[in-house]
Amino acid sequence: MASPIADLSYRNYDGPLDPPINRWWAIAKMSMRLSIKKKGFWVWAVMSGYWYLILLAIFYFADQSTQLGNAVGRKNPFFSNIVWKDLFVNGFSVSQLFFLILALLIGAGTIANDNRANALLVYLSKPCTKLDYVMGKWLGIFIPMTIVTAVPTLIFYLYCLMSYRTYGFLSQDPWLILKLLGMVLVPGALHSSLALGVSSMFQQGRLAGATYAGVYFFGVFFTKAMQSIGVMSAMNGSEGPSGTVNSLYYCSIDGIQIALAKILLHTDGSQLIPGQPATPMKLVMPAPSGWIFVPAFFGICALAMLLAWSRIKAVEVVG
Amino acid sequence: MVSVKIATVENLVVRYGSFTALNGLSCEILEGCTGLLGPNGAGKTTLIKTILGFVKPTSGTANVLGMDIHETGAKIRQQVGLMPEQDCHIPGMTAVHFVAYAGELAGMPPAQALRRAHEVLDYCGLGEARYRNVETFSTGMKQRIKLAQALVHGPKLLLLDEPTNGLDPAGREDMLELVKSVSHGKGLNVIVSSHLLPDIERICDRVVVVMKGQLRAQGAIKDLKKIEGQPIDIELRELSSAFVAALQSKGANVMPPKRTTYRILMPGRVEETARVAMEAARETGAQIRGYAEAERSLEDAFLDAIGDVPPPPPQAVPPAQVVPPVGGVA
Repeated sequence: MASPIADLSYRNYDGPLDPPINRWWAIAKMSMRLSIKKKGFWVWAVMSGYWYLILLAIFYFADQSTQLGNAVGRKNPFFSNIVWKDLFVNGFSVSQLFFLILALLIGAGTIANDNRANALLVYLSKPCTKLDYVMGKWLGIFIPMTIVTAVPTLIFYLYCLMSYRTYGFLSQDPWLILKLLGMVLVPGALHSSLALGVSSMFQQGRLAGATYAGVYFFGVFFTKAMQSIGVMSAMNGSEGPSGTVNSLYYCSIDGIQIALAKILLHTDGSQLIPGQPATPMKLVMPAPSGWIFVPAFFGICALAMLLAWSRIKAVEVVG
Repeated sequence: MVSVKIATVENLVVRYGSFTALNGLSCEILEGCTGLLGPNGAGKTTLIKTILGFVKPTSGTANVLGMDIHETGAKIRQQVGLMPEQDCHIPGMTAVHFVAYAGELAGMPPAQALRRAHEVLDYCGLGEARYRNVETFSTGMKQRIKLAQALVHGPKLLLLDEPTNGLDPAGREDMLELVKSVSHGKGLNVIVSSHLLPDIERICDRVVVVMKGQLRAQGAIKDLKKIEGQPIDIELRELSSAFVAALQSKGANVMPPKRTTYRILMPGRVEETARVAMEAARETGAQIRGYAEAERSLEDAFLDAIGDVPPPPPQAVPPAQVVPPVGGVA
């Protein structure tokens, strides 16, 4: 039999090897590569910006109506009454479910699937530390989720900046862009930390995902209950929900994110559709105390990361 | 010949809770291919995991490729390739991407890692399956991909933990050939942990025998198989009582024959024993069909080593360059 033309015998590798530090970036890159290969990621990523598309459509028709009414040159009262930063809070709130779906899709199985496939033996037998692994996996969820959050927000910001400066878009809050940049980091940080923590407790990505979704929806039902109490108290003539009910309203995975958005943008929020009158049935819960929710946010992230850290072991220790 | 030490282990104690997995183990691993032998639960895998820094020793020291395991875990792992006993892969990846990723984790630039992944997969016989998802691989292919990911970054030391586990005879044969070829003449040192003696005998030059977390024997396989007194085996055409009588008259001790082979033991050198046997054959007209220096099987040597001999007390290994014959220990 003829021998192959190529030399297929083993040869030692004598090329460059980077020092054994910062392996987290290789892990993060690969996690992101695997995430963006999923079609579902792209579908839900696009869907997560749908509220901004609806707002753009509303703005387009509002602009058109101004022109049809020969009101060119005069200010449109629809835009004049808008609190611009509230639009971003609303867009952020509406996208929460999509952020959850994305976190489930790219985050829930990240460590659980590695546990199932004994992948930790591959990672930790290379010059990777536990810190590299946790950090790489965290960034592998955080970066795509932050990009997904940031892109529609910033596009909408640019559109408004170019179109509605005369309606106070810039003058209402000149530092809005910086605040928005802080806000778009929140979902990525919270979901990636929690997803890692939950994922590290399981051997199956689906089980981890189901548990994470269960925790999320339990929190949603709880906040809806708190909102109902707030609505009832508003209908009974009170000025609004009590401070405790208001704080409890934000005690969920999406609640804490919305709370941070409101705290960062320094607003209580407003009705979903600009210009709608406030009624007790459409109660807008005011922003909670930053002194509670900012430390709570960092505490939850740290605890979840600590859980993941403690669960990661290269060997099963028995005895 | 002076052999270079690849790893030195001194008084290593590893405990999992109340269970002591390594109990004052001291041994030396020299360059080449070394078998780590021992029954299940002897501490072989624990030793490998300790060398890699997966397990922190309670006491004792170990030095791998000139680096202390306590201080330079990551640097050691960059120079070492591990093929674990269990199935392991990274979910959702094709073979070539998995192996290239393993290379990147070891510090290879991405382009080099991908090129090298193709080479190593070809070498491991997975060239045709390089774009298949690793999760769809058969057991034999999974063993090969584990070897490929361990080799991709060109390690100086390869640790193979039960490399033939779960393989059918043909797959086992292929795997042994791969390990043998990679461990001889390629500048790569290999430690093979196994309880399968035929596998070890086939691919290794030396063995370290571990039992209950302690060293029972170490040295070259040919030295381990040597029998005290250096007897010879003489195979005759047919059994001959005259030949035996002639040997005994010359002071030789002749053991009961196996088929037509006599084992002859005499004081002095093996050449002298052979000369006496030839003389006795000439005198009695016995027709010699075969001659060999007698040796026991590795299985016998292993059973002796893990038998009732009390384990040596934990002590430092003397700084010898060549591991002495271990017949006395066994």
